[in-house]
Formats: sequence, C-alpha cells, structure tokens
Amino acid sequence: MKTWHWATLLGLTLITVVIQLLVPYTKPSWWDKIPTFYVVYGFIGCTLIIFVSKWLGKLMIQKDEKFYDNF
Amino acid sequence: MITFNIPPFLFFLLGGLLLPLIPQRLRAGIFLIPPLLSLWIIFGLEQGTRVAVDFMHFELIFLQVTNLNWIFGIIFSLISVIAGIYALHMDDLRQQVAASFYAAGALCVTFAGDFLVLFLGWELMAVASTFLIWARGTTEAVATGMRYFLFHIFGGVLLLGGVLLHVADTGSLELTSFASGESLAAWLILAGVAVNVAIPPLHAWLSESYPTATVTGAVFMSALTTKSAVYVLASLFAGWQILIFMGVLMALYGVVYAVLANDIRGILAYHIISQVGYMVAGVGIGTEMSINGTTAHAFSHILYKALLFMGAGVVLYTTGKSKLTELGGLYSKQKLVFWLYMIGAFSISGFPFFNGFISKSIIVASAGYEAMDVAALLLILASIGTFLHTGLKLPYWTWFGQDSDLTPTKTPTNMIWAMGITAFLCTFFGVYPWLLYDKLPYPQLYNPFQLYHFIEMTQLLIFTYIAFWVFRKKLAGEPYIAVDFEFFYRLAAKGVIIIAYKPVALVDNWLGNIYAGFTRSMKGLATFFIFNKCEGALDKTVHYLLPKTIVQGGNSLLKIIRGDARDLTSAMSYILILTILLIFVSLLRMIT
Repeated sequence: MKTWHWATLLGLTLITVVIQLLVPYTKPSWWDKIPTFYVVYGFIGCTLIIFVSKWLGKLMIQKDEKFYDNF
Repeated sequence: MITFNIPPFLFFLLGGLLLPLIPQRLRAGIFLIPPLLSLWIIFGLEQGTRVAVDFMHFELIFLQVTNLNWIFGIIFSLISVIAGIYALHMDDLRQQVAASFYAAGALCVTFAGDFLVLFLGWELMAVASTFLIWARGTTEAVATGMRYFLFHIFGGVLLLGGVLLHVADTGSLELTSFASGESLAAWLILAGVAVNVAIPPLHAWLSESYPTATVTGAVFMSALTTKSAVYVLASLFAGWQILIFMGVLMALYGVVYAVLANDIRGILAYHIISQVGYMVAGVGIGTEMSINGTTAHAFSHILYKALLFMGAGVVLYTTGKSKLTELGGLYSKQKLVFWLYMIGAFSISGFPFFNGFISKSIIVASAGYEAMDVAALLLILASIGTFLHTGLKLPYWTWFGQDSDLTPTKTPTNMIWAMGITAFLCTFFGVYPWLLYDKLPYPQLYNPFQLYHFIEMTQLLIFTYIAFWVFRKKLAGEPYIAVDFEFFYRLAAKGVIIIAYKPVALVDNWLGNIYAGFTRSMKGLATFFIFNKCEGALDKTVHYLLPKTIVQGGNSLLKIIRGDARDLTSAMSYILILTILLIFVSLLRMIT
C-alpha cells in the first residue's frame, strides 16, 4: 500500500463523515444516527471475524489434511 | 409476441436425451440451444398460465406461472446459457448430459404446480448433479459424490414423507403455502427443502462437494440446487420466523468457515451458505419487501457467484491447483481473469453500482423496517466477512501474496467470454436495477441509491479493507482441513457398516452351516439310493447346479462391490427412485 492509497481511503471516509454530520439521517435503525458507526463496525467486525474464527479453528475445527485418510 | 405454453424443462430433457447422438465437435454448441429456447419461451409466459395433465385422479401441473417463479425461471435459463459458453471447450459427454438433466430438474421444480411434479424435478436434480461430481474422476470425487447423493436422497425422502402426509390430510397435491408450524407435513417438507437450501447442520454436502466437482460442473451447481430450493422456501414457507434465525446463523456460519478454508472453491462454497442465509432470513421476515429482497438477491447471487466460480475454475483449469497454500503471484499472468473475478467480488461484497448493492440491502433494510435490530446488525457483520474472504483473502493469496512460480496454461477464450458476459450483467443490474425490480413479485418501493446507503457501504468496505491489510498474514492459507458436519455423516456411515456387518456375517455363517449340513445330508441320502438314475440326478442338483448358481451369484455380487462403484450407484439410484415412485403411486391409490 502506497501513501496515496491510504490518503484516498481516509479522504473518502472523511467526506462520508462530514456528510453524515451535515445531512439529516433518513434510515430507520438507531445506529445509522451515529456518525462513523460503520467505520468502527467495519474494523472491529472484520478483526473479530478473523480472530474468533481462527480461535474456533484451533479449538476444534482445523485438522491435519490426512485426518480422513484412515477414517 | 407469439407465446407457447410449453414447460421449459422439456427442452433440457430432450437436449439431454439427444446430446449423445450428436457428433462430438458440435455437441458443446448444441448444448446451448435448450437454455436459449427455454429463455425465449419463459419471456413469453404470462402470469397464471397453467399446463396440467390428468393422472390417476390427480391433476399434475407441469407449468404454473406465478409472479415469483417467472424470474427464477429466467435466471436459471440465463445462467445455463452462460455456463454452457464457459464449457464450450469441453468434450465430456457425461457432463453435458448431466448438466442438461440437472437444469431440467431445476426448471421442473421452478414451474411445478403440484407436489408430485416438484418431487420429480427434485430427484432429477439430485441424480444428475451427482454425475457432475463423479465426472472429476478422482477417488475423492467418487466418495464425496456418493455422500452427496445419499444425503440428497435422504432430503428427497423427507420431502416425500411430508408430501404424502399433506396429501393424506388435505386430499390435494397442489402446491400451497404453509402457515408457521402448521402441521407435521409442513415440517417434514421444510426439512427436505432445508437439505437443498443447506441450512446447518444439513449443509455439509455443499461445502465438501462443490470444491470437488468438475471445473464447469461447479458453475452449474453454484447456481441451481440452493437457489431452486430458496424459491420453494419462498413460495411455501414465507413468514416462518424460525427461518430468520436459521438465515442469520447460515450467514455467519459460512463466514467463520471461509476464514479456515484453504481451497479457493471451498471458500466460495462457504460463501454460498452465507449468501443463501440472507435469502432464508428474507423468507423468514415474510414481508412483501423481504420476499422481493430474497428474489432479487437470488437473481444477483446466481450471476456473481457463477462469475466467482468461473474465476476460481480458470485458476484450477490452468494451474491444476486450487489451494491457497499452493497458489500465489499469478496476477502478472492472469490480469484479465483477475479483474473479471474482482467484478464478481465487488458484486458479492455490495460495492455501489454492482448488483449485490441493489439486492442484499433490500433484505437488510426489511429487517430494519421490522425492527429486527439484532438480525440486521448480524447480517451486516456477515457482509463484512463476505468482502473479507471473496474480495480480499482469496484474490490476494491467489493472484498476489507469495509467488508460487506456477505457469498457468492459456485460458480458453470461451471461458473469458462467459466471465465477461456475467461481469457485464453484474454491473448492468448494479447500475440499472429497475429492469430487475419491475419483475419482482411485489411492487418495489425500495430505492438502493440513497445517500446513507452509499455512506454505509463506503465506510464499511474501507475499514474492512484496512483491518484485512493489518491482519492479512493471519489469513494466508494453512495446510489444514476444516472439519464440518460431514464428520458426522462419515461417522454415521461407519456406524451403519459396523452395525450391519456383524449381524450379516452371523446370518451368513449360519446359512453357510445349514447349507453345508444340507449338502452333506443330501449326499448321504444320494448314496443311500443305489439306483443309478436317481443318484445321478441328485448328484447333479446338489453337487453341481445348486452350488454353481450360488457361486456365480456371489461372484457377480463381489464384482459389483469391488468394481466401479459409480455403475452400481447409478443403477441403484434409478431403482431407488422407481421404488419410491411405486410406493407413492400405490399410497395415492390407497388414499383415494
């Protein structure tokens, strides 16, 4: 990732947040009223998906590729 | 426009029957004719059209056009054309015939007006699609195909059980929608349909067979089985609240497993479960808006999922590899394939101006309008996972990441064309959704192009991307398999073998002893008769004819057991279906 990539992504985010602050909200759910809600939800959600799944994998789901060979 | 009220599945059935008679070099092209004809016929069909045949006091309705099934018929035919183009380079007759019958089954289910025709289509799909797995030819494919087949037959029996109870209760075969938890018959039918929808724990057939199927077969499979079942679910079980719970569970279940999957088509298969979860939840919510959402999302999903499977199929076809641990660094050699795949990935992730954006959001919004906050939030969480895997993990570790030094062979032009057409459609419906919205079952009031919808998706996607970039090393493929419910299928099979083997061995032993005793006594009896003629006759029977027949029978049985399991199962499947049909017909007679 080059610097201008990061700048574009963060710039886009900034624009959306400014719009959220200026334009009245129109959707029915309470979380839509919170500016930057989806910023936080996107980042935390993605992190959670990665780590919880990995943890479940280590706990019981992932097995050696030969697991079924002698089943 | 002149309209013909012909059940569209007949074209595919006829196509499948005639394909073996057509010279090999024309066959792949001729394969496209039935879906094109079907598409043309369905375009002309008007709502309420009905074609029925009287059969043993029942009316079998082979064609019944409703505001719901028309659009499913269109997309099933359209995707068969596209998948046929994708398979133009292939000359495997088995796959061509199997795919034709498979599509025939799906269209039979879609336009069925009664339970018996629905069931026939259902079973045809199960049998035909199994051959698309077996055609891969590997030992794993034979075993997986067998499990797939048995599981679908199990689902078919549940469905049949429900249908029989329903007919016994109401005396009618006609398709009717059920009120939530209405009767045992409804529950049984739901269970049978749930197998094809792949609701956990009945889903493992999907995640293990789609990565194992042939390159072109998987494209058909990704489109037909689950979505035809979604149609049945939407027409029979709208408003069953349990489906909201199951749908959300599916959406998240697929996401968790996609983190752990190493096979690229395995990741995509788990995302079918996840995406179908949205549709199931939409059926469960049961409002006009959510049923519209389910229909629109099935339409979009078939397009982008086929595109994704085609992309992954090209990778497998050109490199022979499908595991993330064995792939990487292919971008410079497959730029066009990568970008076409990414259009599918943008679509499934709900990027603005791609077709996921205009369909998935209807379901999430309808959950919001019904104040189902938890369901809506969890469905949004699942959509984060969708972008993470199909849009980031899979393409990053396949076309970028560590260079695998693989040199892919040339991609057949027809594969690129098929991907191009699908990518165009994904974008077209994303930019101009009204063409789809106008054909939805109910008036479509939802407008996806709202400022807040753009803001939501922009923030969500950017920060999912940033989290991926931070933790991307964690998402590299790992040389493990993720054990799912197929573990229990295998365990059950093992149990059956153990339980069945001992009594069978015991009985066999016992019969053997009796037979040995019988021959000994007959021999004794024979020697007792001193008359030549009599002795000769007995001798011939006891020592020669009888054992010979038994030995011959045993040998042919052994041959079947040791020999090609595929021949046996194909024969058995037809016998099984025939038996089920006979039972069905005789029960119908009893009832009437």
